[in-house]
Amino acid sequence: MERAAAAAGGWGAVGRIAVGLGPGSFTGLRVGIATARALGVSLGLPLAGVCTLDALGRALGERDGGGSSRLAVLDARRDEVFAALYAASGERLWEPSVCSPADLAERLEGLPAPPLGAGSGAVRFHDELVSCGVEIPDDADPVHRVAARHICALAAAGPDGGDGGPLAPIYLRPPDAERWRERDTFQRDE
Amino acid sequence: MALILAIETSCDDTCAAVLDGPRILANTISAQADAHARFGGIVPEVASRHHLELTVPVVEAALAEAGASLDDVEAVAVTVAPGLIGALLVGVSTAKAIAAPRRLPLIPVDHLQGHVAANFLEPEPLQPPFLCLVASGGHTLLAAVRDRAGHEVLGQTLDDAAGEAFDKVARLLGLGYPGGPALERLAAEGDPGGFELPIAMSRDPGLDFSFSGLKTALVYLCRELGPDGVEERRADLAASFQAAAVGQLTAKLERALRGGEWGAVALGGGVAANGSLREAVAALCERRGLRLKLVPGELCTDNAAMIGSAARFAPRLPYPDYLAYDAFAGGGQPAA
Ligand SMILES: [Zn+2]
Repeated sequence: MERAAAAAGGWGAVGRIAVGLGPGSFTGLRVGIATARALGVSLGLPLAGVCTLDALGRALGERDGGGSSRLAVLDARRDEVFAALYAASGERLWEPSVCSPADLAERLEGLPAPPLGAGSGAVRFHDELVSCGVEIPDDADPVHRVAARHICALAAAGPDGGDGGPLAPIYLRPPDAERWRERDTFQRDE
Repeated sequence: MALILAIETSCDDTCAAVLDGPRILANTISAQADAHARFGGIVPEVASRHHLELTVPVVEAALAEAGASLDDVEAVAVTVAPGLIGALLVGVSTAKAIAAPRRLPLIPVDHLQGHVAANFLEPEPLQPPFLCLVASGGHTLLAAVRDRAGHEVLGQTLDDAAGEAFDKVARLLGLGYPGGPALERLAAEGDPGGFELPIAMSRDPGLDFSFSGLKTALVYLCRELGPDGVEERRADLAASFQAAAVGQLTAKLERALRGGEWGAVALGGGVAANGSLREAVAALCERRGLRLKLVPGELCTDNAAMIGSAARFAPRLPYPDYLAYDAFAGGGQPAA
């Protein structure tokens, strides 16, 4: 981050801080958003939050040239995925949600034409998705990784002059039983 | 101005403070107790979510209250351990990202040293050497403080923290969470000799504490009494538990005092608000001719002023050495 700012000509050359809001690992999201918020305060810069699935959808659009609908799929662990669907125009067709690969496959059956898919979830559940007709680039293709430049591009395209107000993380899951176990383990370790 | 901005997010309170030397210009706390009450305890994921929402607003509120801006800040201090790792990470990420673009040094602070350093703050700073007893929902610590840069742990709890035992027994008696103050009120109406409860560790020659046996003894007692019996004797149960818990804390403190030349005792942590503990420690200090420093209430529970106070005597990490620095949950004990 410091390197990126230096490459841009120092923090003075930066006009806005963009950050991925998730979905993703809870802790990872919070480190990213807390950092962005604090940079915003420290530098007096406005913030812009971007849905991480939107960034993937955009990456797919760049690659595809806008020919077909695009499915962004992130590995959500515990055998689930975070997913969202975008039209060829870039318009969001499905809101981000968390579901099992089987549920996702069922939703895909209802589409008029299979989409192009990418993301860590598309790599992990490659076979399940391909069997529904989803076209997925090679595992090694950079399109599967969320790139900060797509977050920036979306932030730049978004409404101007973010007010630095609350950026809501996209958790998609409530604090759950696993976290309860974390607490219990923690107390036993005390 | 050359101010320290301090951030503390190790448990369930989001805290920021601004210090000018030993003087507190602002000490802002956003408590999350309500958010955790329905779970009957602190849920780490809930705590982390709240810290993320609250940290920057709390920092801004502290600066505003201090009448200062970030331009007046010369260093950023932050709690790095021990505590809930997800909660600590929010504070550390925030502190780093405030400090880095301004090329300010970062001062990593140990939460327990923060509780000790609460004693160095104005208006009545305490000079080492002294013995410090910190009893809260997260820790039970008996420390020898010989200088302002650190402390030696003489004893700590082997299982539950003192405040945790109060909370658990309060729940057992149907008093809700957090139950410490409610338990104290109920105990005031009861007979502390009503039930014979063991003073744990009394035959142990060391200075460590243990509260889980006491809690278990109470669980069995309640089972024996049955719901109606418990209802009838709730106040006696509360008073007997409190007497045993306070008895253990003061017995260990007295043993530690016998082991050295100490001029003063400092009592801190959330449980230090307990009147019965205060009285017992005050009586002990009077018997031994020692000064007793009661850490003021707002500095007893978790706060960032104490972190800023510890930071004054801790090493500073210059920019950019701290960019790869992370919080660690170590220390073996959650903060509170
Ligand atoms: Zn604490």
